[in-house]
Amino acid sequence: MSGALRRLSLWFGLLGAGVALLTGFMTFVSVMLRALFQWPIPGDVELTQMGIALAISLCLPWCQSERAHILVDFFTQRSRESTVRRLDAIGSLALALMYALLAWRTSAGALAVREAGETTMIISLPVWWVYAALAPGLALSALLAGMQALQLGRQAPAGDAA
Amino acid sequence: MTGSASTIGVVMFIGMMVLMALRMPIAAAMFIPGAAGYWLMTDTGTLLNLLKGNAVARLTVYELSVIPLFLLMGQFASQGGLSRDLFRAATALVGHVRGGLAMASLLSAGAFGAVCGSSVATSATITQVAYPHMRGQGYSGRLSTATLAAGGTLGILIPPSVPLVVYAILTEQNIAKLFAAAMVPGILAMLGYMVVVWLSVYFKPALAPATTATTGRAKWQALGSVWPIAFIFVVVFGGIYGGLFSPTEGAAVGAALTLLVGLLKRELSPQGMRSALLGTAETTAMVFMIFLGADMMNATLALTEMPKLVAQWVTHLPIPGIAVVLAVLLLYVLLGCVMDELSMLLLTIPVIFPAIMALDLWGLKYEAKALWFGILVLMTVGIGMIAPPIGLNVYVVNSMAKDVPMAETYKGVMPFLAWDALRLLALLCFPVLALGLVKLLFP
Repeated sequence: MSGALRRLSLWFGLLGAGVALLTGFMTFVSVMLRALFQWPIPGDVELTQMGIALAISLCLPWCQSERAHILVDFFTQRSRESTVRRLDAIGSLALALMYALLAWRTSAGALAVREAGETTMIISLPVWWVYAALAPGLALSALLAGMQALQLGRQAPAGDAA
Repeated sequence: MTGSASTIGVVMFIGMMVLMALRMPIAAAMFIPGAAGYWLMTDTGTLLNLLKGNAVARLTVYELSVIPLFLLMGQFASQGGLSRDLFRAATALVGHVRGGLAMASLLSAGAFGAVCGSSVATSATITQVAYPHMRGQGYSGRLSTATLAAGGTLGILIPPSVPLVVYAILTEQNIAKLFAAAMVPGILAMLGYMVVVWLSVYFKPALAPATTATTGRAKWQALGSVWPIAFIFVVVFGGIYGGLFSPTEGAAVGAALTLLVGLLKRELSPQGMRSALLGTAETTAMVFMIFLGADMMNATLALTEMPKLVAQWVTHLPIPGIAVVLAVLLLYVLLGCVMDELSMLLLTIPVIFPAIMALDLWGLKYEAKALWFGILVLMTVGIGMIAPPIGLNVYVVNSMAKDVPMAETYKGVMPFLAWDALRLLALLCFPVLALGLVKLLFP
């Protein structure tokens, strides 16, 4: 199960950076068209905003599965390994909570914005798309962080409550 | 009400610090107490409503799109072999001087910094190509590792720079102007570091043996091979300052060009491409999670009116403004000992920036003051990257140079730190060092 999730997060990460790259190329082409023919790709700013937002959210699970989020390890350098593991379990749990809250609320936001029928200024893309686009990355990250918390918690030897 | 609000603010801040000390990832350590404080001061409905839109609001900020794009550019540059060409060219230029390889690694770090916005990435990339050479030529471990750690800070001093982008967004300043303000201090940093190397080997020739000079054709060939990086830099920054495109568009052009160069040179393998994409994904996610955590914390801090109170308190202190700035910078040095640069900026700037702007500093106007303070903060952050007890750059270099004990590197870093401190004082006294170029480019 966790192996499959990890592979999925790898694909999400490659896709996320790939989307960022595509967005970059789109902007590159738009800049060239503007410079040469005064005719940029219409709505390029909106497309960049949406593309990059999607890209970032797709990158989240990979960072979580690598446990690459920055933390301060200065004060716990001399702690016992089991203590560190327990603290890391709590840390992962906190991240899971954060992802889950954001995934839930952003999905709720998607429904609300769709109801309102809001669209972007220039090429009238439905705004709820961005909200919906963020949900999968956030949800997968929440799942991964939750699994990590469980695994780390289980590894910590039981019994020596400190 | 004000009483209880500021109590909540203080408790929240302390809670965050405690969670951070207990290894909670910084993003969550800001988010959870922030959300709890917000909930206490409002109610469940208001909090849930805020969370509906804040991830989208943060992730769609157009100016922030430069971060993943500049990260891609740096990744392609290092996977595409550009750093090796740079080091070869720099060696051709200064390799014949005693300590020349160390100077060459500083030159190439500075040049690499012009396409890379992260100091850790710059350190890691240049270490890969320069460290084996230096050791192979009999350079001492202390000088080699210290030079590479210090050289990495050029990655954020010389634009593009991820921390500067973050500062610009937080303080609503023009990214292009901030990059311009960083240019001269960045180049001064590089030249000064080279002087430090020169002085070190002058007094202690044992640190680095003399090497033979590259001559004639080989020299020109080596210099010729750096045209791609020069071309990319000129297009990206020429375009930004020539008014052809915005920083975001510049970053997009830079990422696209760097990828194309890597592909044309046949240096970028599928494996390299994969690591570049995954490396970008990892750092992008890390940066934006910290943003989301800090947003929550700052939304609550704004409710507590703490930033306003701090600003009021600071402006009524009976000491000159410049002393306040110095104190703030010292605080950053201390924070830099336990925190990474982005979290530090995101946490402190919303509170400290308004206070600094309320001070009279050399009679500078608002924008000039904001730009100048940004560069001061950036330089201080750079110090935190190499200063003991935990300089991130030192860790990175040492993890790649396992034969040198960490303590040796820290000893070697000291002269570089002395130059950092001098430079910081100089900029503190002469804002024109940062602002001169801005005035020239934006008349």
